[in-house]
Amino acid sequence: MADDGPNKYITLVSSDGFEFVVLREAACASPTIAGMLRNQMVEAKTGRCSFAEISSIILEKVAEYLSYRLKYKDKLDVPDLDIPVEYCLEMIVVADFLGLDEQMA
Amino acid sequence: MNKEVSEFEPCWDLLRSSLVDIHTKNASRLSFEQLYRASYKIVLRKKGDLLYERVKIFEMEWFRDHIMPVITELVSNNLVSTALVQPSGSSAHERRETGEKFLRGIRDSWRDHNMSMNMIADVLMYLDRTYTADYKKPSIFATTIGLFRDNILRNTLGSAVQDLGEPFVIFDILNAVVLDLINMERDGDNIDRNLLRNITTMLESLYETDDELEKQKLYLTVFEPRFLESSRAFYRNESERLLRESDTGTWLRHTRRRLEEEHDRCGTTISHLTAEKIAAVIDAELIVSKLDDFLGMEGVGLKNMIDHDRIEDLTIVYNLVSRVDKTKMPLKNALQRRVMDLGVEVEKTLRETDFSNPSANVAADGDDGGDKPKAQTLNAAAQQTAAAIKWVDDVLRLKDKFDNLCVTCFNNDLVLQSAVTKSFSEFINLFKMSSEYVSLFIDDNLKRGNKGRSDAEIEVVLDKAIVLLRYLGDRDMFERYYQKHLARRLLHGKSEIETEKELARRMRAEMGNHFTHKFDGMFKDMEISKDLSDNYRDHIRNLGDADSRRVDLGIHVLTSNNWPPEATRSSQDEGSKWKGKGDCIFPPEIRRLQDSFFKYYLRNRSGRVLTWVPSAGSADIKCVFPKVPGKETGPLSKERRYELNVPTHGMVILMLFNDLPDGETLSFEEIQAKTNMSGTDLVRSLASLSIAPKARVLLKEPPTKNIKPADKFGFNPQFVSKAIKIKAPTLNGVSKVEGEEERKETEKKNDQTRQHVVDAAIVRIMKQRKNLSHIQLTTEIITQLSSRFKPDIGMIKRRIEDLLVREYLERTEGDSTVYRYLA
Repeated sequence: MADDGPNKYITLVSSDGFEFVVLREAACASPTIAGMLRNQMVEAKTGRCSFAEISSIILEKVAEYLSYRLKYKDKLDVPDLDIPVEYCLEMIVVADFLGLDEQMA
Repeated sequence: MNKEVSEFEPCWDLLRSSLVDIHTKNASRLSFEQLYRASYKIVLRKKGDLLYERVKIFEMEWFRDHIMPVITELVSNNLVSTALVQPSGSSAHERRETGEKFLRGIRDSWRDHNMSMNMIADVLMYLDRTYTADYKKPSIFATTIGLFRDNILRNTLGSAVQDLGEPFVIFDILNAVVLDLINMERDGDNIDRNLLRNITTMLESLYETDDELEKQKLYLTVFEPRFLESSRAFYRNESERLLRESDTGTWLRHTRRRLEEEHDRCGTTISHLTAEKIAAVIDAELIVSKLDDFLGMEGVGLKNMIDHDRIEDLTIVYNLVSRVDKTKMPLKNALQRRVMDLGVEVEKTLRETDFSNPSANVAADGDDGGDKPKAQTLNAAAQQTAAAIKWVDDVLRLKDKFDNLCVTCFNNDLVLQSAVTKSFSEFINLFKMSSEYVSLFIDDNLKRGNKGRSDAEIEVVLDKAIVLLRYLGDRDMFERYYQKHLARRLLHGKSEIETEKELARRMRAEMGNHFTHKFDGMFKDMEISKDLSDNYRDHIRNLGDADSRRVDLGIHVLTSNNWPPEATRSSQDEGSKWKGKGDCIFPPEIRRLQDSFFKYYLRNRSGRVLTWVPSAGSADIKCVFPKVPGKETGPLSKERRYELNVPTHGMVILMLFNDLPDGETLSFEEIQAKTNMSGTDLVRSLASLSIAPKARVLLKEPPTKNIKPADKFGFNPQFVSKAIKIKAPTLNGVSKVEGEEERKETEKKNDQTRQHVVDAAIVRIMKQRKNLSHIQLTTEIITQLSSRFKPDIGMIKRRIEDLLVREYLERTEGDSTVYRYLA
């Protein structure tokens, strides 16, 4: 694990082994992920966050949301992010886990 | 049930071992996600409170077992006694060593604790977000950080207490050590600033209670008050010492340095929060308490600084005084006193200066320099004029000095500028001759003409004149003098008309039309007169009949209102014994000329009366001095032709001698009878023609220096002059300073005019307002007349009474202090 300074991208790893690469800045919208990356534990060192209880389908949507959020930050006329109905419940749970609830700015 | 408990315990075990790892800096093996998830699960299973308590207990135990021993060891007896008791036995060096070691220990343990707690709080983020917020408990971080405060800072250490006999906590030691180190730095030692900053940052992060209220940072509640108090004591001592040992300059610089130092300290050693408060302490102890003492110090205080233009010192004084007193009262008072003193000194110097030295005689009109019998009186007059010039120069120089101070040291401060201006006005108006002197100054400058001076230099002079004008309170006095001097300048052609007009224009802008009304009239008269002369000349030429003996006439017609009374009347009523009435008798040729012009003048105008003023005119006469028989060599052997310029009176006298046979003389009384001139005029004119060698075309018997009624005068055939064009000394050409009696005369006349002005003002005001009380009326009058002069209250009262008598006003029936206008 070469340490070349904070990498611009980090990897989110799902429970079934799928990896999603997102911008560090996008990912840190979640306080949980941010906490993971700022302390000197394993995640910070490797730049990989493994989520043992989040499936790939859901994690994919999360990754998409994080990028979407960063892209349209502070903009008007934002297009909706499509979340298929069958995933909504799990998304809510994961959102709570990751701290992505409405109290965030 | 079992499942619940078993779910909790494994999670807790995982978390607890991670806590240990974190505290022992072994966190790199841990997975954040795993720990986070563990706490997440606990909370979901509604065991958040249990987790909270367990964490709290764990931290307390950790403190007790791992951190406290280290600290206790640091707090040796030595440290305690040095820090809190400070026996004189320990040196600064020793205190610094032990102190810094202690601080380092505290800081390190704090740093570790802080870091660990941050990490732990992150891991337990979910707990904080849900359980803690819901149950309104302090966050994990706050609680555990608070443990540091409770277990370390507020801990008393059993054994050491017995030595001192009174309770104390580690916090006290901490504060004492920090303050001691700061004082050492103030005295010049080097300390570890970074260390202190760490400590103060720590104090900023700790709060009185776990509620973490902003205003209750330990820094603000415990450290800062002690810091300010210790600083206050320190600076109080310092200011005493400075007062005893050093002078104002040192004190100024020292204070400035301390201010900078403390400001610097507030970024590098302690918190920014204290910046303003410590500045206030310095202001109070170093500046306010000793300000008057230092400023008033003999020989080095404010007075001395002003006199010697100590720019840097004065700038510091200004800055320091501005910090503590918005009105800058001490500085303002000192400046005003100094201006007054220096201004009065200028007058004193003037009285003591000896102006008889010719090199100081800057105002001497070139023509007057040569006459010997008149030399004494003329020199006296010229001396006085020189005095006037000097006074003005000195005042202007003083003004420049203070202006310079205001710009360079006082940052163009308005309060100070207006204070200085007020003092200038005060001493200038105290000095009785200021109006006259200012007018003389302008007169002298304008008389020299524009040759040799660039436009810029002339500008400078005009500016100075206007500046002085602003200070004068008695503007109507000035107007009177200026009119007199201007008349002389214009009639004798002594100045550039353009410059005069420029100055008049500025005066108008500064003081209004009515002030320059007369002067404008005078300019206009001069212009019209020039046209008139030219036209008349053409008119005569066109009449044909070129007569070689015809006299060429140049005329100035003066509108009597505009010109000063001296110019428009002949000096008949100047205390002479001559009781003759009527004007000067002119020679027949001149009379013909006068009639001719009079006719010409009245061709287009009617209803005017022209009166000739011989005292103001001059004549160019061609003289022929024939060869003196018996002399074969030298100038007297030739015929000499000269052109003599004399005043009109002189011309009248000389023409008498044209008809006189050779060798005959005329006595003083005969001349007086033939010319009908007053004694004073006659004496003056005869003197210039018969006493001073420059224009001695008449011989006087006896050849004494004074003119007596018994003297006889005759043609001087032996008159020789080097120049072809000779100018007889003009006695009215020099504007000289008035003597005491003359000045009193002028003042009296001025007062009379003022009375009329006040009357007019009263009537005007009352007509407009119908009813006014006495006080209101007086105030109104003063306001309206302020641009002309400052009326005396007594005079106003008298004028009001006078108007009451004359039935312009009456008192109202109800209230006798209210007046009503009577139409």
